[in-house]
Formats: sequence, C-alpha cells, structure tokens
Amino acid sequence: MNTQALGVEYYLAGMRAALDDLPPSEVAEIMEDVSAHVAELSTELGENETLEQRLGPPEQYAQELRQAAGYPPRTERMPVTTKGTLLTRPRAAAWGLAIATGITLLAGAAALREPGILLLPGVVLVLSLALVHDRGPAQPEIMALPETRKVQQWLTPEAGTPAERALTYFRSLQPAWWLVRAGLLGLGAVLLAGRDILGFLFVAAIAVVSVYAGPRAKIDRRWLWFSLPASALAVGLLFQVVDATANNLAYNTSRQSYPAPITQSYENIYAYDENGKLLTNVLLYDQRGNPINAPHQYYGCGGGDPQPMIPANRYPRPKIDYENGTCYTVTPSMSAPSSTSSTPSSSSSGSTPSSSVSPTSVSPSK
Amino acid sequence: MDTSQLLKGVLDLAVLAVLRKDDGYGYDVVRRLRAGGLNDVGDASVYGTLRRLYNAGLLTSYVVPSEEGPHRKYYSINETGRVRLAESRETWRSFASTLDGLLGEVAA
Repeated sequence: MNTQALGVEYYLAGMRAALDDLPPSEVAEIMEDVSAHVAELSTELGENETLEQRLGPPEQYAQELRQAAGYPPRTERMPVTTKGTLLTRPRAAAWGLAIATGITLLAGAAALREPGILLLPGVVLVLSLALVHDRGPAQPEIMALPETRKVQQWLTPEAGTPAERALTYFRSLQPAWWLVRAGLLGLGAVLLAGRDILGFLFVAAIAVVSVYAGPRAKIDRRWLWFSLPASALAVGLLFQVVDATANNLAYNTSRQSYPAPITQSYENIYAYDENGKLLTNVLLYDQRGNPINAPHQYYGCGGGDPQPMIPANRYPRPKIDYENGTCYTVTPSMSAPSSTSSTPSSSSSGSTPSSSVSPTSVSPSK
Repeated sequence: MDTSQLLKGVLDLAVLAVLRKDDGYGYDVVRRLRAGGLNDVGDASVYGTLRRLYNAGLLTSYVVPSEEGPHRKYYSINETGRVRLAESRETWRSFASTLDGLLGEVAA
C-alpha cells in the first residue's frame, strides 16, 4: 500500500516534470485527470507489477499525451517571470475568498445587530468570483497555486493515519452540516425578522440557497464562493446566539442574587423613635461596621463648602437648596417629612411612627 | 498493418462516440474504447485527446468527489461536440465506403 502510494507520487512527479513547459493551468488540468487515472490503475496492479510496466515511463506517457493533445513538442522550460505574475487573477480570487470568509465569520457575530455589515464580505466575494468565473467548474489554476496545494496536502493525510480517519469521518458528516447550516441561517433570519426586513430577506435567501450550494460545490468549485462564507456566517450567528443567551442568563441571575443596595435608591433616610419623634444626627452602619452612605450629590454643597465636614452616613441628610445661584444646607429638623414634605410621608411617616421599628434596631457599632 | 497509425486519425471520433450517451472520466473512456474493440488504444493518447477536445470547446467538464483517492473529472459532450460528431461520422462513412470500394476492386 505504502510503496504503491510512493510509486504513484513518483510517477506523477515524473510526468509533471515532463510537462512543465506548458502553461501551469493546462498542466493542472492534465494532472487532475492523470492523478485520478494513475491512482485507480495502481489499485489494479498485480503483486510485482509496477506502474511503469503498465504505462511505460512517465516521460513516455507525457510524450504520448502531448501528441494526442496537440501540444507543441517539449521545449526547455521558459524562465517564467514569477515576479510579474505573483498577483494573478486566480490568486487574487483565492485570497479574496479566504479573506471574505474570515470577514464573514467576524461579521456573522455582529450580523444580528447590524446585518448591513454583511455587505462588505459580499462585495469582496462578488469581485473575487468575477475574476475566475470564466475558468470553469474545476478551477484548475486556483488548485495549482502553491498555497492551495499546501492546504490540500494538509487536508489529505496519508491513508490509515488517525488524522485521515478523523477527516474521513468529518467528511461523512458534511450533508448533516449543510442542514444544520441552513437551520442556523434560518434562525438568524427569524431573529432579524422583527427589526430589519431587508436583513431578514437577505439571510433567509442565503439559508435557502445554502442547501443547494453544499452538494453543488463538490461538482462546481465556483459554488465555494457561496458555500464557504455561508458556513462562516452560520458559525458566526451560532456564536452570537450563544453569547446572547449566556448574557441573558447572567443578567437574570445577577438581578436575582444582587438586589440594588437600598441607599442608592433613596435620597434621604428619616428615623423616628417610638413616640413618633424625628431622630436627628442618626449614624447608620451595616453589619460590618461600614457607614451606609447615600449618593454623593446629596451630601453637601460641593467642594467649596465652608461648613464643617458632615459624616456621609448621618441622617437625615441636610436638605440642599439652591436659591439665587447659591447653595444652602437647610437643617434636617426643619425639613422633616412628617410635617413639611410629602415625598417620603406616604411610605415612611404613615407607618413608621406607630410601628415597632425602633431606633435601636440600627445600632452603630462605632 | 499497424492499427495505431490508423487510430490516430479517428481517436477524436471514437472518444466523442463513447461520450455520446454517458459522461465519463478519463479511465472510463479508456475502458469503453477497449470494450468496444480498440484494444491498442493508449491511456495517454485518450487523456491527450480528451484535453484537445475540451480545449476545442467540444466537451465540458465537472468534478465529482470520490470517497477513495483523488476527485474524478468527468467529461461530457456539448452541443458543439454533437454537431462535430455527426459531421465526423459522415466523413468517416464516406471515407470508409470509398476505401471499401477501392479494396473491393483489388480483391476482385
């Protein structure tokens, strides 16, 4: 098995060398045919038979093919100007596809908030496909790029290795992934439906076409320009849905377990004794002995306040009045809610004086 | 007489003929030709012919993934190819009957 694989590689390398004066795209097409041929033949070989016995030396095979195909006879390989042809159309298209797929993955994670972001990879995809649309379904030039070969090599490990078995297994899951992908895209479309009708139509159309594009891309590689980004978008959407759900859960639990501290929702606190008399200069502390402070804006008249420092946890707080642009601190006893103000009276003064809440329940520990 | 010399001239016609009904990948075409009686046809000649017919716009191609081994590139005859096949068949028939006539005279 292994020696056969080696034999195939050796034979194909010999052929490639014998054809290397032809245009690279043509060589790629030929090698696509021939590698399938040689691979199939190698499985039919007898015990001690070699490919060369069956087909003749690779150079001869190449020569015969050349004649039949009507190619010119072998010339010395022209020093191809690799510098000038670094950015060819197939290369630009391949990188365009790769970059657009990457962008779609990132954009997919934000697509539910801003579906318009998908236009960016969309434009890149259309442009890059336009570059190679006329090059046929097999896209031999892209397949012949060194970077594509590297990826391909990486994706086709030697038969029998665990990596190869894993890849074969994942390949068998592909049709299932096409359905899951369509489902994820459909979910994304539904989530968009309420907010953005254009985004909904766009993503829904991708979901529908993606079912067709999956198997189609296996036959016509140009469908990869749709199928790959569609997968990236589905994964991006999945991330976003998972993220949103996680956030939602975290938000709900935080609301349950951490009620907002009472001091932050009240401007002032009025304490009464059992006779209904307003207590002034009450200092409030929590169970750890930390002062319970109301928000700062109710503390005093700001930095330039000439008055002596008032502890922030002393209640009732002085009432701050702004008159003619000047700030006054009104003594707390005068602004007791039971007599003058009606704001806290509904909640505190109505019940507290008669109830059993005694000033001793708040015991300063300092 | 060496049939390989004869074959060179008509391999186009033979390849188009075996693709007339069903699409096929390279080795498929080789097998069909051999099954049809062209035992001496060379693999490389068939592959070369397929490339030439494809480049001439008489065939189209598509890739079919294969479970084991490399993907297979299938060739199928298009409308231009069918027209060419019909023309070549007429040419061949008149040529063959001409030659038959000549050979008949020799035999007589």
